[in-house]
Amino acid sequence: MLRFFALRLARSVLTIVLVVTFAFVVLRLSGDPALLIMSPDAPVEAIHAFRHEWGLDQPLYVQYLRYFLAILHGDLGQSMRDGRPALALVVERIPATLTLAVPALALKLALGIPAGVYAALHRNSLTDRLVMAGAVAGFTVPSFVLGLLLVLLFAVQLGWLPSGGSDSWSSVILPVVTLGLGGAGMLARFTRSAMLEVLGQPYIRTASAKGVPWRAVVRGHALPNAAIPTVTIVGFLVGSLIAGSVVVESVFSWPGVGRLLVVAVANRDLAVVQCILLLVASTMVAANLIVDLLYGVFDPRLRNQAAGAH
Amino acid sequence: MSISRRLLLAGAGAAALPRFAIAQNTSPAGDDRPEITIAVAKISNSGVLDPLREQSSNASERWLGSIQETLIARNQQGRLERVPGLATNWRRIDETTVELSLRPGVKLHNGDTLTAEDVAFSFGPERMFGGGRSNLPADIPAVARRHWPHLARVEVVDRLTVRFVNATPDVTMEGRISAGGSEICSRRAWTENGDWQANSSKLVGTGPYKLREFRPDASLTLDAHDEYWGGRPPIKTLRFLEVPEAASRINGLRSGEYQFACDVQPDAIDDIEVYPGIEVLGGLVLNHRIITFDKHHPALVDPRVRLAMAHAIDGRSIVDTLWDGRARVPPGLQWEFYGDMFVKGWTVPPYDPAAARELLNDAGYDGTPIPYRIRKDYYPEETATAEVVTECWKLVGLNTPIEVKENWAQVLDKAGPRGVRDWSNSAVFDDPVSSIVNQHGPNGAQQQDGEWTNAEMNTLSGVLESGTDVGKRKQAFARMLQICEREDPTYIVLNQNAVFTAKRRELPWRQPPSFFLDFSPRGWES
Repeated sequence: MLRFFALRLARSVLTIVLVVTFAFVVLRLSGDPALLIMSPDAPVEAIHAFRHEWGLDQPLYVQYLRYFLAILHGDLGQSMRDGRPALALVVERIPATLTLAVPALALKLALGIPAGVYAALHRNSLTDRLVMAGAVAGFTVPSFVLGLLLVLLFAVQLGWLPSGGSDSWSSVILPVVTLGLGGAGMLARFTRSAMLEVLGQPYIRTASAKGVPWRAVVRGHALPNAAIPTVTIVGFLVGSLIAGSVVVESVFSWPGVGRLLVVAVANRDLAVVQCILLLVASTMVAANLIVDLLYGVFDPRLRNQAAGAH
Repeated sequence: MSISRRLLLAGAGAAALPRFAIAQNTSPAGDDRPEITIAVAKISNSGVLDPLREQSSNASERWLGSIQETLIARNQQGRLERVPGLATNWRRIDETTVELSLRPGVKLHNGDTLTAEDVAFSFGPERMFGGGRSNLPADIPAVARRHWPHLARVEVVDRLTVRFVNATPDVTMEGRISAGGSEICSRRAWTENGDWQANSSKLVGTGPYKLREFRPDASLTLDAHDEYWGGRPPIKTLRFLEVPEAASRINGLRSGEYQFACDVQPDAIDDIEVYPGIEVLGGLVLNHRIITFDKHHPALVDPRVRLAMAHAIDGRSIVDTLWDGRARVPPGLQWEFYGDMFVKGWTVPPYDPAAARELLNDAGYDGTPIPYRIRKDYYPEETATAEVVTECWKLVGLNTPIEVKENWAQVLDKAGPRGVRDWSNSAVFDDPVSSIVNQHGPNGAQQQDGEWTNAEMNTLSGVLESGTDVGKRKQAFARMLQICEREDPTYIVLNQNAVFTAKRRELPWRQPPSFFLDFSPRGWES
């Protein structure tokens, strides 16, 4: 188990290093922060001064080495826009993003898994078709379209909810529903597929043939075995808690990490972008790591394979 | 804000009318002045509020004048002519010196009374030009020097009198004093806050509204400054909310959450005005959309090709179709706002495809691709305009593939052939130095970036900057227009830009002829 964990951890660290390096190179080669933050009308002397002050006049590899060494010392740098520490900027936005992401995740789980299980247990029925049509619509309609539709209905026409902002608890509802419906649709599809596969297995037939009540078969045999692929998707959803609401935060003017990321990328505010990427990559890697470990818990064969036992 | 309150607002939008009307006559004790929310696309591009860092007219100019003011103001209810601001009058001592008398009893947001010391500090090394004990970021003094290239010092004559002393003769000093970047701050507040970084988002000024909170990329909240010298502000709280999506801004206006929505695209105005209780105000601003040349491109070395490109564009059609007639083809890179310096009778090269073809033929243009770099709708209707322009060019035989770029660095990137690109030019103050010299002169961004240069233009820029004879200056400016728009074209003027703001109809507010949203007592209909 320890070796399994160590291997996964090493791979995770490598992933994060690659993400950070790739982002650094792409961002630095695709725009000059001095021009983006100060506008092209700024005096040339001002732009040169800005570049010098932030080390942007150094060769790319020097900038990268400085940045990487600073990270190793726990320094994630400062925003070039206002000089504040990048980590502080990002951390202060996390609660806003989690305010949307956590209820949205709960909504995805609460809607997606039961819908998928129900559809699988009523395969090819009218209900199955309706549930799956809703699920397909949920994850194929882009979130900005769904968000604007919800705003038109509930904010503009009915006047029940705010169209955006973060002033009150009611501001949370529309973005959470927008985020939740898309994820729920995806989860329902995967859960249904996983359940159908398990329900076709010989041990399900055997249990039924032995007279085990159908509910007990589903609860005791089908659901646990269908959990592995579902956990994979849930892991992905958990991993994208931070980064998954970029579009929705823009549509609803929600001051979270997603909005910060959009602004920081547009301005090539490297330290902030990298800080968010580190956070996102770490969340994703941690979620995957937990999923991998859960695989081992759910299925001893995987754990034994990783440990070298045959 | 609770749902029930929102319901009330949405269901009875007209209720705001009596609320506002009552507020006009309410004493401070019973303060029921309205609180309004203005949805803007962007509050600050740079993430700070300091006008020497935040240089964007379509972001900071909306709110800056509500917080900090200049000594000489612009008449936002008129034609932006100079009017007394924090100074009640001013006079020329000589060609290099302007003396200003400060308005007595002006209260700063921190309770202090404005004095000449605050003015001198606002133009001093600690705040503006660096050096000495200053810890300004290096770009701040550089931007300040762009605004004030030859300012030697600001002298305190007495408590309410200051003198601006230039190192060289400069007839534009009064204009510069009225321009953005010359706002007056509180010396005590700046010193108490500490360094530039601490001050960059804590503006303390004399404007009708004082800063309560700034949340970068989210909101800017201002409270009424009841001791404002121009009268008690009619709004209790102004909240600028950053709503990047245009559709979301209009939806919020329709539902009653916002009272104003900025950055309305001209082609959306008719659709918006069908909603009950909403109207769109706005019009021309002191900004022209232009296309600039990199004359080092092989096909653009010959000025006849550049002039042909100007003749080929049907500017009238662009204005009529994409702007619904709400903009105009201006008389070259100038505005009537220049007053005596305005060159009457000057026009942009007229739409004349036949002349364009003849020029191209004479120049031996062989169809070499001339890349046309644009940003996707950074300017209003930019992409659609570029498509129209490209079609116009195609009709006369020009090959101008459009390259859509994400940001300015990519637009200006010297890697790969540079041909033409989109840009705009503003009149920062009422003299051509602020526009044609500022962007196309020897120290302007176009020449500094190596796109274009012209020796005579550069000599004339010097005449315009330091000359004092109005006749000679005007002659020089007319010659510069001739060079830049006909003889050795460096840009093509497409149209004068316009800005539009959607608002609740019941609010009796007037849109100034600028980007500024004037919510002072002067900005409302009496």
